[in-house]
Amino acid sequence: MSSVTIKNLQKSYGAVDVIHGIDVDIAPGEFVILVGPSGCGKSTMLRMVAGLEDISGGTISIGDRVVNDLAPKDRDIAMVFQNYALYPQMTVAQNMGFALEMAGHSKADIARQVARSAEILGLEPLLDRKPANLSGGQRQRVAMGRAIVREPQVFLFDEPLSNLDAKLRVQMRAEIKALHARLGTTILYVTHDQVEAMTMADKIVVLNAGKVEQIGSPLDLYDHPANKFVAGFLGSPAMNFFDATITQNTAQLADGQRVPLGARAGEVAEGQQLTLGLRPETLTLDPAGPLQGRVKLIEPTGSETFIALDIAGQDATVVLKDRLEAAAGDMLRFDVTQGRIHLFAAQSGLAL
Amino acid sequence: MTRLFDRMANAPWLFLAPALAVYAVFAIWPMIDVTLVSFQRWNGIDPTRDFVGLANYTYIFTQDPVFWTAFRNTLIWTALSLVFPPLAGLLLALALNQPLFGRATLRAVFYLPVIIAPIAVATMWRWMYDPFFGLFAQLLTNLGIGIPDFLGDPDLALYSVFIAYFWQQVGFSMVLFLAGLQSVDASLVEASQIDGAGRWNRFKHVTLPAITPTMTIVLVLSLIQSLKAFDIVYGLTGGGPSQSTQMLALWAFSQSMQVFDFGRGGAISVVLLVITVGVVIPYLRWSQRREEQLK
Repeated sequence: MSSVTIKNLQKSYGAVDVIHGIDVDIAPGEFVILVGPSGCGKSTMLRMVAGLEDISGGTISIGDRVVNDLAPKDRDIAMVFQNYALYPQMTVAQNMGFALEMAGHSKADIARQVARSAEILGLEPLLDRKPANLSGGQRQRVAMGRAIVREPQVFLFDEPLSNLDAKLRVQMRAEIKALHARLGTTILYVTHDQVEAMTMADKIVVLNAGKVEQIGSPLDLYDHPANKFVAGFLGSPAMNFFDATITQNTAQLADGQRVPLGARAGEVAEGQQLTLGLRPETLTLDPAGPLQGRVKLIEPTGSETFIALDIAGQDATVVLKDRLEAAAGDMLRFDVTQGRIHLFAAQSGLAL
Repeated sequence: MTRLFDRMANAPWLFLAPALAVYAVFAIWPMIDVTLVSFQRWNGIDPTRDFVGLANYTYIFTQDPVFWTAFRNTLIWTALSLVFPPLAGLLLALALNQPLFGRATLRAVFYLPVIIAPIAVATMWRWMYDPFFGLFAQLLTNLGIGIPDFLGDPDLALYSVFIAYFWQQVGFSMVLFLAGLQSVDASLVEASQIDGAGRWNRFKHVTLPAITPTMTIVLVLSLIQSLKAFDIVYGLTGGGPSQSTQMLALWAFSQSMQVFDFGRGGAISVVLLVITVGVVIPYLRWSQRREEQLK
């Protein structure tokens, strides 16, 4: 396993800049996830690390080597593609052994390494099959098998789970995490699914419009988002935002409701305009609570209840652990968990 | 209601009918007629046709001095046609599938000969091959090399005609291969790059499997095209010198239209038909099976 150091990475297509000077340090053995909305540059960045896209500026180092000008095969990486990219005419074993064959390994050596990887991923019964005769989950596993056979310094994953159904995705998430724990290889993983990012990563890099919004551990980003974008992107359902004005140590919403700021009151000035951020699970039903909203929709998921509300003229979501007997149009009151209040500057969106 | 339903059910046949009628008159009937004629003696004018059984076939197989020459030439021609135009077409397609400057123009340039009438191609090349005024004669004279008689030397003529045919056909294979190359999965190309496959291995393991169906189409069409080679030979040499460029299709034409022996011409045509169908159908079956195995 190797470190990956990305310094001032830039990418432009003609006059269009898509990546604007990104810095990321990945420690040996770390599981880092690049996450962001479509078009944020995360796949482009991964492909630049892989050597599939030219680098317009900056450097990428794997271990001590600057790899900017190295061919993909010389970077000691393996990549798992979104559509798996398995060679259709080859069996599973041939797919897995292909890179070793290209590197000139002996037949016996290839067979031994393929068998070892197949054993790790439980692929032994599939070794003689062609990709067309495999299910989506099996193909996914073969693609990972092909990657681990080579014992690379770094694994690159490009949205590997997005073609799988929900149940399989959860299962593969656990498998990839277990695989990382077992092999300890550095992983750079791209996804647009913030749940994948939260559940798997040691470190998350949140990208937006070709820039890094924030880098940190999943819970660190969740609890201490650097700005409104990160706060809104991580977490499902997303954080609720309200325009507010500071009035007597409370955040006063558009319709005059006031949310007490508790310990955070000292950080803001009377009359200051800002955005109040409240996560759906930090609001609890309380007939004496400070926040009132009108129910628009109730979505029971079985284990939880999602309530879509109108609070002070803005859409909001609350997640309750309990079931709720209520109907659209009902008025409900909520308390706000102290210590879980987020405040963002009205203009810049930066966390206060 | 029922009548409306009946009419709907018959609609596809209704739409197919004009095409079927044309096909029946201009393709099916001539095939039947030529088969009938091959068992008859007929000069093309007489109101009567005499049934002669297999006599025409016996004649062309055992007594016709030119049939086997034409047969051998057709085989050589077909073998050349299955190798060179598809191979060059593939190489051109691979080159013109790269992001080159002027790619669209080059594609058009290489395709252009396909849309020229073969007889016009023949005229162009006969002029270029001319031993006194032709382009090649000039070039070779300037280089101080002796001038071979491209179309007059029986050992050279077939290959000289084939070069003109090659020039005309290569764009056809190229266009089909270009279309096939669009089906190559970009992520497979990238996966093979990461796996360390060089150009040749990438071609062998990614490109070639992806264009196998195209390959089948190109080879079948090249085969059919080459077996019925006629107009370009007719225009360049007319089968000569001393039958060295004689082909089955051309010989069938000569027997019918010049010697007015429609029975023998028909028999040669039927032989050609049997060869074509006998090769193409088993090949198609085989390649279909192979593609299914890949899936």
